[in-house]
Amino acid sequence: MTRDEYIAALKRELGILGDTEVSEICSDFEEHFAVGISQGKTEHEISAELGDPHSVAETYLSDNIEQASGYRATTQSNAAVTNAVASNPTVVKDLTGPRLFVILFNILVMVWVAISVYSAILSFWAAAIGILIAAGAVLAAIPLIPSGAVLGVVLTGIGLFFLAVFIGILCFFLTKLAVIATKEYVKWNKKVYNEGF
Amino acid sequence: MNVQFKKGVLDLCVLSMLKDSDQYGYELANTLSALIQISDGTVYPILRKLATDGMVTTYLQESQSGPPRKYYKLTGLGRKTLTALLEEWLTFTRSVNQIVGGDGK
Repeated sequence: MTRDEYIAALKRELGILGDTEVSEICSDFEEHFAVGISQGKTEHEISAELGDPHSVAETYLSDNIEQASGYRATTQSNAAVTNAVASNPTVVKDLTGPRLFVILFNILVMVWVAISVYSAILSFWAAAIGILIAAGAVLAAIPLIPSGAVLGVVLTGIGLFFLAVFIGILCFFLTKLAVIATKEYVKWNKKVYNEGF
Repeated sequence: MNVQFKKGVLDLCVLSMLKDSDQYGYELANTLSALIQISDGTVYPILRKLATDGMVTTYLQESQSGPPRKYYKLTGLGRKTLTALLEEWLTFTRSVNQIVGGDGK
């Protein structure tokens, strides 16, 4: 490859960079050729030593991307990592306080709160099921009712049925909420227990 | 070789070569490619990155033979980084030598 061919190829590969940047880069390579020629090398020899313009351009492009994305230069990040490791020995926290708090708080308060909440929800479920059974019983009793009272009984049965469904739906969401709250609480407990506040 | 690793090592080499005297691109490329198996063209992206990161500054100087040359000069930050990288490199190679069975010195 001659000097001009090499520079042209480089320019083409660097296409997406800004014009100033491309011309700065190319002038570095032009200087390289000029120095090489002044030392008696041929353009072809110099091109060969420089290496494939495509891969040279790729290095510029990837450096450019790293910079654009806020990636710090390897040199600096390496130093930063070393510093961070050297100046930040692992801090061993005293966890006795948080752990004692978690255990006592759970035994004295949260166990009872959880029992009352879950038994309340359970009783609502029981109520819903009870009312559903009552609705079924009322509707099942229709054939035994004198014809004059049938309408009232049917309406009562249907009313009870919808009441049961309504309480059931309510219970469903309450249960879900309680489960989510419990999970979050357990997570928080674990965190405090293992890492402190 | 891992690209990031190679880059770090080449940064270290270039910074070291500039420690005692300012040099121009061709010189740096020639020395480096003579000792390590890389093509001359690899040096220029490194120099450009070091300049962008403030590790080196450049200036043009006329020469008796051939065109004016762009010289690279280590900055204070470059010198500091060189010290840090060098220390890291020495620790690293010492450990590797120990692992592969050298005497680690």
